[in-house]
Amino acid sequence: MYHLLIIGGGLSGIAAGIRAARFGLKTLILEQHNHPGGLNSYYFRQGHLLETGLHAMTNFAPARQKHAPLNRLLRQLNLRRRQFDLHEQIASEICFNGRSLLFTNDPVVLEAEVAREFPRSVDQFRQVKERIANHDPFTAGPRRSARQFLADHLHEQELVDMLLLPLMVYGNAEEEDMDLDQFVIMFRAIFVEGFFRPAGTIRDFLDLLLRQYHDFGGELRLRCPVAGLLIKNGRINGAQLADGEVVTAQMVLSTAGIPETMRLVDWPASPQPYIGRMSFMETVVLVPREYSSSLSSNRTILFYHEGEELRYRRPQDYLDTSWGVICFPGNFSGLEPADRLQVRMTNAANYALWKKLTPESYPQVKRQWTEAAIAASEKMIGNYRSSIVYQDSFTPVTIERYTRKAEGAVYGSSIKIKNGMTPWPNLYLAGTDQGFLGIIGSMLSGITIVNQHILQQSYAD
Amino acid sequence: MTRNEIKDILLEIIADIDEEADFASLDADAPLRDQLDLDSMDFLDIVMELRKRYKLQIPEEEYPQLATLTSCVSYLEPKLKDV
Repeated sequence: MYHLLIIGGGLSGIAAGIRAARFGLKTLILEQHNHPGGLNSYYFRQGHLLETGLHAMTNFAPARQKHAPLNRLLRQLNLRRRQFDLHEQIASEICFNGRSLLFTNDPVVLEAEVAREFPRSVDQFRQVKERIANHDPFTAGPRRSARQFLADHLHEQELVDMLLLPLMVYGNAEEEDMDLDQFVIMFRAIFVEGFFRPAGTIRDFLDLLLRQYHDFGGELRLRCPVAGLLIKNGRINGAQLADGEVVTAQMVLSTAGIPETMRLVDWPASPQPYIGRMSFMETVVLVPREYSSSLSSNRTILFYHEGEELRYRRPQDYLDTSWGVICFPGNFSGLEPADRLQVRMTNAANYALWKKLTPESYPQVKRQWTEAAIAASEKMIGNYRSSIVYQDSFTPVTIERYTRKAEGAVYGSSIKIKNGMTPWPNLYLAGTDQGFLGIIGSMLSGITIVNQHILQQSYAD
Repeated sequence: MTRNEIKDILLEIIADIDEEADFASLDADAPLRDQLDLDSMDFLDIVMELRKRYKLQIPEEEYPQLATLTSCVSYLEPKLKDV
């Protein structure tokens, strides 16, 4: 009998597991895949370790800012800053139809860029920043539109869209618009605090977290899909695994998303409102280092858009290459240059179309759209196709298969269950569908739900 | 446990939560949270660590009694007298 069973070995599940195990709860994490990490994981192809999810972490903060989300997170997990070798971004850029805004982890840079590119709007932009600084996004209130808030203050639509794109693509479940609270969280995470990543790969980061979890006595089982949750007298009393084994527990925390959790427990409600619309295709290419000088060696992430209106929504076609993200995971300050430069491209994709493809046509369609994504990125960073030594892509269908996120919606639906509660008194939710997004957000989600609901509960021994 | 032992345990627990915590100028009769810049999540960790180590159940309504180092020691003294 475990005190706590955690479904999903992604970052929210591992963070939750560390908290629970740290204070003596007998804890088991069940992960269906053969690697941990969930949405932020890795796989091997032809000797290359390729990361999924992670482009950069947000919310960089110096060690002295004790209450910054990053430092609070590390303290909660009983980890020390010196255990991580953190590298800040070099600079990122938002490029729309020939206009550009550069930003770094120093917010002064973005303000100067707004003054340069949108001189008529810079005073208004300063007011927006001030309002954001004074807005408390964590007190529950009626939903407000971020687009409306921005339109009330900024009168140049292109500036509004340029500011929204990075925040949406790294943490907005909703199509077209964004909840104002979520906008404020993301604005601070990206434009005020900024991007960084730990040295090494996501595997190194996951290994470090899992060592901490194991040191506190936590257990993890990989390749261990859950077939369903077991209910007795209105409470969950464990899980039945795909191979028939039954694991009993006093409490269960699901990070598999609301639709998948509903399936596991016969939740008497429709999963439909909780299925998100935004999913992505990601293409990874490797090019030899010698070509890298021509490929934006001084940029960490590029956010681009070409054409009229920015369409942050599920595209009509398989892929929308009119906007996207190009990330250079090797371009963080102080990282040793690798032999091969990695370029990662993200574009919005239509899950329903990808799902309908037959196994025969899927590879060919994927090749075709990978080409389209590469061609779109070459317009931004110059030609590199002829020097590609390795490339791979994954689609919304791949994301769904490996992460159980319904329809590959990496940010879930815009409807969140913020208190993490379910119709069962000892079944809780954490992760994407609880409401904090991104790597730092999902880990804080796992921590918060364990703090609020699980640690405070008395446990038998 | 003596009052001094309890105090040492508390400082050890706080140091494990925040290794930067500076005890040199700590006023035992002033609120810990303000002096050490602890937030509510850090504070929960002190309570959880006491529970883990000594099986102490501290109900939420009694948290105010843990405000200062001196009040913590006074609150814990009867509960830890046999430890």
